[in-house]
Amino acid sequence: MNAAERIDAACSFLLQSPPGEINDVLNDVRNIISDDDSLHEGVLPALKEYNLTQFMTVDVPGTDYQSIISEAARVAATPEAQERFIDPRSKTSFSFDHLSLEASDSQPAEPDADSEPFRAALEKATLTYLSAHFHDGVASIFAAKDSTNKFVIQVVANKYNPSNYWAGRWRSEYTIDLNENDIQGKVLVNVHYYEQGNVQLSTTHTISLSLPAAVVTSSPSSSASKILALIEDEEGKYQTSLNDTYQEMGEKTFKGLRRALPVTKQKIDWDRALGPYKLGQELASSKGMFGNS
Amino acid sequence: MADLVDSMLDLMRRLPPTRTEENVTALIGICPEYADDLLGSVDQPLKLRTDRATGKEYLACDYNRDGESYRSPWSNEYDPPLDDGTIPTPKLRKLEIAANEAFDTYREMYFEGGASSVYLWDLDDGGFAGVVLLKKTMTPTTPHEPSGSWDSIHVFETAERGRQAHYKLTSTVMLQLVTRKGSDEAEEKGAGNGSKSAAGWKHEGEVSLSGSMTRQTEQDWPILDSSSHITNTGRMIEEMEIKMRNLLQEVYFGKTRDIVYDLRSVDDLEKARRQRELQKELVGFIKR
Repeated sequence: MNAAERIDAACSFLLQSPPGEINDVLNDVRNIISDDDSLHEGVLPALKEYNLTQFMTVDVPGTDYQSIISEAARVAATPEAQERFIDPRSKTSFSFDHLSLEASDSQPAEPDADSEPFRAALEKATLTYLSAHFHDGVASIFAAKDSTNKFVIQVVANKYNPSNYWAGRWRSEYTIDLNENDIQGKVLVNVHYYEQGNVQLSTTHTISLSLPAAVVTSSPSSSASKILALIEDEEGKYQTSLNDTYQEMGEKTFKGLRRALPVTKQKIDWDRALGPYKLGQELASSKGMFGNS
Repeated sequence: MADLVDSMLDLMRRLPPTRTEENVTALIGICPEYADDLLGSVDQPLKLRTDRATGKEYLACDYNRDGESYRSPWSNEYDPPLDDGTIPTPKLRKLEIAANEAFDTYREMYFEGGASSVYLWDLDDGGFAGVVLLKKTMTPTTPHEPSGSWDSIHVFETAERGRQAHYKLTSTVMLQLVTRKGSDEAEEKGAGNGSKSAAGWKHEGEVSLSGSMTRQTEQDWPILDSSSHITNTGRMIEEMEIKMRNLLQEVYFGKTRDIVYDLRSVDDLEKARRQRELQKELVGFIKR
């Protein structure tokens, strides 16, 4: 493998990191590649991609809460300015270090006056939903970059418990398009359990819904709480359906792969399983006896 | 450079089990000089092959590999053929044939299908070692039926001590379960429940549970003749697989589910919080 291929492999490893283990994976990769100079430059794009797709959370400077680093939060770099990320809740933007995961150089960011009332209403409703159903959740709500009347709700909840060898991440994203009157959403759950093993749960769930006219024509705050009620209902149903899937896999697939005990409900009689061999041996030894006599 | 191998093994314990083969190949590409260490310590899904002589299926892994060829336990032949491929001594081969028959019975009784293979080899100190492999795959007949696979790798070492033998067993089970869900089914269910809001949603998704767990045990068993090694390892492996099946059930269907519920609660946490506060107030009120 040449140097470029090694960096590609390193990037692929990083992008596969389970929740909360990117630093462990990075340490392993550093040891394996053992060329810090080329690695540092080479894996930066992968770290950035990981942070954006995994909804990395960051302490927002000057606030007591976190916001989400994602494509929706990214303010594209221009020739004059470096890439920055926006937190619409505090109306600030900041630089973000993809390795140290720290925000700096916070500056005021004026929201778009037309979309802000609805975005703010969605934010309020989402934060209420967040505290009702997520144990350690973070949510950010953005006005879409590419279109007016389009909004993105992102939710992430992480639990890292390395001393008990497990970690989990729940990500939800909903794009609310008031031009098309629909919601496109996805829910992604990842769990890693690694005590004397490596077991991973990975789920994807995509959803789409046409918004009823009554939802769209209401005031921002009433419309937003109706949208969140739909999301709450859908996510609750999804979580319950996961239970059914678990049961189905446990009852059908797991049992179908290997029985707990044979049909006889008894363990194997190994002496009988050995039958032909034993018999063969006895014959051989008796033959020997005849031969000797 | 033991710590380099440690880093590779630590990495493999973290990366998705569904991509083990691809990642092992990449690691070997980066450090070709550690290929043997890696192939010897990272368990990969067993490959199903067909014995050209007998037409019977057998399982390929690092233990029956010589170069690019794999030895079948049924015909003792390498495929592609090798003139000087490593084979067990005649005495051990006899035991290997018997072990394959015994574990084929075991496979049929517990797995009701699939394939099994046993490979034995002599150790330098006079004892011998072996590996018992079992694999079953379930392929769905419709896209929304769950699919899955079970791979067992039981590696053992034994040393005779008079009329006793000491066994060291390392068992790994790889288990993969996948379920796909589509819109039709969800809508049917939604309609059946008469739920209004569910009817408008379109869903599509996949749930994948995959991984491996490893356990070890050491035991002493009496031996009467060489066939005792088969009954002894048979009992140990049966016991171990029963234990590991319970463990897998607990981790796959219990632990990972609990973690999902640690992330998100179906019930309203705020309501529960308010209720607790109200209760506290009431208790305080009664006390006064």
